[in-house]
Amino acid sequence: MTRIERSPGRWVTTLLMVLLLSAMAAVGIGTAAEEEKSPIEGLTRAEALELGERMYRDGLLPNGEPMRAFVQQDIEVEGTMFSCESCHVRSGMGSIEGTVITLPTCGSWLYKPLQGAEMKAESQARVPSRLDPPPFRPAYTDESLARVIRRGKDPNDRVLNYVMPRYLVGGTDLDILVYYLKNLSSQWSPGVDDTTIRFATVVGPGVNDVDRTAMLGALEAHIADHNSQTRHEERRAKGGPFYKEEKYAPYRRYSLSVWELEGATDTWPQQLEAYYGKEPVFALIGGITSDGWAPIHEFCERNQLPSLFPITDFPVISDSNWYTLYFSKGYYQEGDTAARFLRRAKGIDADVPVVQVHRGDRVGLFLASGFRDARQSMSLPPAVEVELASETEVDAAFWKKLAAANPGAVLVVWLGAGDLESLEVLAAADPRPPMVLASSTQMGDAVTSLPTTIRGFTFLTKPDSFPEEEVRSRLATESWLKAKGLPTTNFEIQAKMYFLGWTLAPMVKMMRDDFYRDYFFDIVDMMRDQYYAIAVFPRLSFGPGQRYASKGCYIVQLTGGEEPKLEKRSNWVVH
Amino acid sequence: MRSETRAVTSGICALLMMVAAIAAPADGPRFTRREVTVEVPDVTLIDQYGREVNFRQEMLGDRPVFVDFIFATCTTICPVLSAGYISIQRKLGAERKKVLLVSITIDPEHDGPEELRKYLERYGAKSGWDFFTGTREDIDLVMRAFDAFIPDKMSHRPLTLIHAPGRDHWVEIDGFAGSKDLMKELELALGDEDKEGERHDQD
Repeated sequence: MTRIERSPGRWVTTLLMVLLLSAMAAVGIGTAAEEEKSPIEGLTRAEALELGERMYRDGLLPNGEPMRAFVQQDIEVEGTMFSCESCHVRSGMGSIEGTVITLPTCGSWLYKPLQGAEMKAESQARVPSRLDPPPFRPAYTDESLARVIRRGKDPNDRVLNYVMPRYLVGGTDLDILVYYLKNLSSQWSPGVDDTTIRFATVVGPGVNDVDRTAMLGALEAHIADHNSQTRHEERRAKGGPFYKEEKYAPYRRYSLSVWELEGATDTWPQQLEAYYGKEPVFALIGGITSDGWAPIHEFCERNQLPSLFPITDFPVISDSNWYTLYFSKGYYQEGDTAARFLRRAKGIDADVPVVQVHRGDRVGLFLASGFRDARQSMSLPPAVEVELASETEVDAAFWKKLAAANPGAVLVVWLGAGDLESLEVLAAADPRPPMVLASSTQMGDAVTSLPTTIRGFTFLTKPDSFPEEEVRSRLATESWLKAKGLPTTNFEIQAKMYFLGWTLAPMVKMMRDDFYRDYFFDIVDMMRDQYYAIAVFPRLSFGPGQRYASKGCYIVQLTGGEEPKLEKRSNWVVH
Repeated sequence: MRSETRAVTSGICALLMMVAAIAAPADGPRFTRREVTVEVPDVTLIDQYGREVNFRQEMLGDRPVFVDFIFATCTTICPVLSAGYISIQRKLGAERKKVLLVSITIDPEHDGPEELRKYLERYGAKSGWDFFTGTREDIDLVMRAFDAFIPDKMSHRPLTLIHAPGRDHWVEIDGFAGSKDLMKELELALGDEDKEGERHDQD
């Protein structure tokens, strides 16, 4: 059964209650947690776990020095090259890459014996004794865990493959790492109980009804689809064959709450905390705002709450944040690609001056920021920046003056179609700009109004696929929408939510009953490249820590004639 | 019950294979070595500094070359292969430029020059170890040429290919070699190089 909870508009009252409770809890937890002891002498539990996490994730000893180890018997490595997390992943649940399987190293797996399969005791009793395999590994103890880290011998005295580093670590440092592993993924994450996994989706203020309905309609249809199997799945979970219990028993129905945000973005964190305090969810799925995603992104980082595929063109750009997986870098990606395309353009040297023009609105700032950062990362000289006030009129005189002040410069113009109509004057400029770069997304449907005389040297960013190249995936999405009785209202949003739902169920299933949020994203990270179910990008790809699934953006040109078309001038990914 | 038996048996087999993968005997073979023929494709790739490089010229230069296939966010295989590369550079010290170490990304869409550079910095790589990216089509061509093609990076194989100037074949190491194994291969390649030099001198 789908549970949709809409905001009653009484969030202020709830918020006050939650804040009060949080304040009370903070005092309690503050003293209790800080004083909670760990088995490590002189360290509280929180301190020991923090130091252990640094060893596990960053490969750094408590004194800040890199951990040292040997792989393949005679190759010395430092923790700054790679760490435990590199192979055993963030959750400690292990990974599979090609023929190399890395087993779990988290407390919930290490400290129990490994049998042939995971079964309840009563099911185990049903297995004929002749089929009952002996445990292939008894439970680790603190001592045997320390030994396998140092010497690579498991509790059965088996020697692990030398791909597993033998760490030169001992004493308190080793105790800290063992303590961390013992506690890693040792308890289910919030948002899951015996019957249900709870999800939420965030809707920001000011989102128009069409977009909101497009997003919610597709998500709700996926949730309903999943839950329609509940009776069958629960029967299989209870009475299925014992050898498939591991697969069937973890079945959970889904619930979806809608977290409606109101007011200014600086009030969103409190609203989100209030919702979360009232109902901790396992993950956020989808979601849509018209004011960017940063407050929600930061909320998710703080609470270690996965946020999967929000609808936004304004993601937070970070190469270290973990908990939000975006479809793409949005407008930032367009700016980035423009800079890389320009660098590779034949006949335009790196020292040719570049002028970047944009307004101070969110779209202009994101595009400009992507372009600026990419040039910096490529060690190219910065562009001359021209940020226009919202009231500045952009006409022929403006362009003439700009070209005269920057003769021979490449113009990067992150402006709407209305501002670009007067660009026509540049066709006759002497010298004419060698190249003009703009965003087809920012120009929207009016892109075809780009003056004919400048199309030959004007290049546009296009961060999505060509519909005619995605016939099969578009058909799949349209057929699904039709089957669910959902009219096509905003195809881009609906296609994205179709993809989300298409991947959500198998990812949850792969967790089996290891319901850890970090494992959820570890599984996403190991997903293969996706082509079939995504209709608005040529493909999506994933990898450990990669948080923008679409990596590309075309550079296109508008053809001439009565019915101009966009034609590719680059590959999907430009380095 | 027969199907249950089969299922349990196959489950046990799978688990035993899994255990074997992780807990292989210490003295068992860790890689296979064979000689292979490679037709190096004439493609342009991009190095960690964003420079375009002619791949064939790089491969068929006047010093031994090692090639492996990795990606910047890889979990298990790449760290071990890269540790092998860094051990070669450390062992050679000032003479490290006697050999060219090349890594080729199998995740070219994510791995741009900045990611390649960061990866090399993380391992403390010195000059003489280059990391290449390119278009997906060109990377596929290179992988196919080295019989290393995989449809997806998560199906990755631990391959290292070694070529000495003048040799008409490459040596393929399939698996994880230790530092001694890699240095032995390098010595063989350098030996071939010396012989090639002598042959040219006689000519």
